[in-house]
Amino acid sequence: MRARVLVPLAAVTFVMVWAPVLVAQAPSGTKSFDPTTIDPDAAIKAAAEAAKAAAATTNWTPPRTSWGHPDLQGYWLLATYTPLERPAALKDKAFYTEEEAIAAFRKAVESDAEVDPRTVHYDWKEYGMDAWQAGAKPNLRTSLIVDPPDGRIPPLTPEAQKRRAAAAAAARARNPAAGVQTFGNLYTRCVLGLGATPLVRGGNPGAESAAAAGGVTAESQIVQTPGYMVIVTQSNNDVRIIPLDGRPHLPDNVRQWLGDARGHWEGDTLVVETTNFNNKSPATNFQGSTDALRLVERFTRVSPNTLRYEYTATDPMTWTRPWSIETPLPRIDPPLYEFACHEQNYGLINVVKGTQIREVEAAKQSQSRPANPGSRADER
Amino acid sequence: MHIRSRGVMLAVASVAAAAMMAVAALAMAALWLAPIRTAGQAPFAGAPRTADGKPSLNGIWQAFTTANIDILAHEAQPGPHPETMGVYGAFPGGQGIVEGNEIPYKPEALAKKKQNFDNRMAVKVTNDPHRYDSGDPELQCYRPGVPRANYMPFPFQIFQNPGEILMVYEFKGAVRTIYMDPHREAPSENWMGWSNGRWEGDTLVVDVTGFNGHTWFDRAGNFASDALHVVERYTPIDASHVMYEATIEDPTVFTRPWKMSFPLYRRMEPNVQLIEFNCVPFVEEMMYAPLGLYKPPSR
Repeated sequence: MRARVLVPLAAVTFVMVWAPVLVAQAPSGTKSFDPTTIDPDAAIKAAAEAAKAAAATTNWTPPRTSWGHPDLQGYWLLATYTPLERPAALKDKAFYTEEEAIAAFRKAVESDAEVDPRTVHYDWKEYGMDAWQAGAKPNLRTSLIVDPPDGRIPPLTPEAQKRRAAAAAAARARNPAAGVQTFGNLYTRCVLGLGATPLVRGGNPGAESAAAAGGVTAESQIVQTPGYMVIVTQSNNDVRIIPLDGRPHLPDNVRQWLGDARGHWEGDTLVVETTNFNNKSPATNFQGSTDALRLVERFTRVSPNTLRYEYTATDPMTWTRPWSIETPLPRIDPPLYEFACHEQNYGLINVVKGTQIREVEAAKQSQSRPANPGSRADER
Repeated sequence: MHIRSRGVMLAVASVAAAAMMAVAALAMAALWLAPIRTAGQAPFAGAPRTADGKPSLNGIWQAFTTANIDILAHEAQPGPHPETMGVYGAFPGGQGIVEGNEIPYKPEALAKKKQNFDNRMAVKVTNDPHRYDSGDPELQCYRPGVPRANYMPFPFQIFQNPGEILMVYEFKGAVRTIYMDPHREAPSENWMGWSNGRWEGDTLVVDVTGFNGHTWFDRAGNFASDALHVVERYTPIDASHVMYEATIEDPTVFTRPWKMSFPLYRRMEPNVQLIEFNCVPFVEEMMYAPLGLYKPPSR
């Protein structure tokens, strides 16, 4: 190990052990790689420094566009390792210390970079697509949810509990004729990307494949003109066009996958209200909500390279009260790439065929076994 | 002031009223002469400009031609499955958008165009690149490419900044970013190509490369390869009209470059906006039922 002078990071007292950072030798004829994209330790160090620099920026006024609006433009990363809901073990702890935040970040990065060889998996790391390779940053918050104060989604209404029970029962019923629409979630079908309304879903790599995949292709592009803000996401290249001129929403009978958004400025914060969501059945709407969901997002540029993103989700048919999140979005380099999902959806055929085969197997198994409590047919 | 007579009072009142009206008229003129900043307001003669002095292409635009059916002149046709579709499926005639009404195909490429036309409704979904061997990509809700996206019968919206111009098409929500400053090299092949732009006077010139060779120009089977190179010119002629011209070059398919042109019209309805046209769900039965992979949802 090389002897190094440890650069003192103010108020961070833990010691990082420096292994030699190897710059990957790329095949001849290509350029070498940025260490933060190939070595988790380098990525963790760089992320901690950037997060510290962003946190140290106070009373900062964002520059203006040529027509006088706060400039939110650029490319911003939507991936985070912070979970949506606070882990139960943390109880009421809303904030980590800096040391704990870095440790939690390190744990998430290392778990993300590792791949369980026993599973059928996509090793995103090999493509430079893990969240830590894209520039995800540590967060002092223990959860994205800031309200309710316990950091958890509020209780469901009785109606929503019934809907959820009915959906679970339908999922338990075996369906050998499973098809694209009854099987596939909207991302697998290439109808929608992993996050446009709202932009950030929360990270828990390793928790489930959809959440882990939410860390990849998590870039976004924000463009402003005097009358509009536009957000393009890398995932499925979903586009949200947000008029700022105070026009009314679309009529109530016109429903859209990404809803219908309207924005206005409150000081230096752009407030975006989205309604007119469609009913995505048989897929589920956002967090099990209905098409009555009302989403209010807030965009504030708090430092040169950080956008603060907040949203409040309200659906009286689903939650007993609204709930809100807050998360920082770090700036990243352009460009976005074309995400021609449906054009090249080779995988859907294999995925649906595989599901059909599994469903037939499961139907045979439950026929050959007498039904009793604890049998496979009763499992969720 | 001591008013001597009613007549003088009236005269004073009418002068005052006239003065107020003149002030109001001046204010109105100032409003009319102010540069347009947001879409949806009534435009006036003379294209508005952005803060950096360029013509503003901000707003919602649409072509009104039948070029998406056939970029060459064509008569009205019954369209596919007239026994079911009737007039809903019929195609109107049109005068075409190609200069000289001729596409200079190489002989083998012309044969391929005819083959494309014969197979334009063929849907052969596979899990390999052979899925692009035949069939109009539009039919399956694939990205239309450039220049076809500009003359689809759907509006599109332009968001203009000095560094980047973003174009969003209502059809499938297809997007393209025109890199103005800095220019960027195409990283890979795309359906919508890769666009770098610059201003020549009041004309936006866009150089588009990086095509994947799977896009068609229309429903008539006109096509190009991945060597396609398109140079677009957007020239505003007043606040509501932009003349569009594209030069098409592909040495593997055509014997020489050729041009197309048509006007783009500003959509002027108050509060006009793009309405989602997410066509993926509309084509799932067509694409996946033949493979036994489609089951309509029960609601």
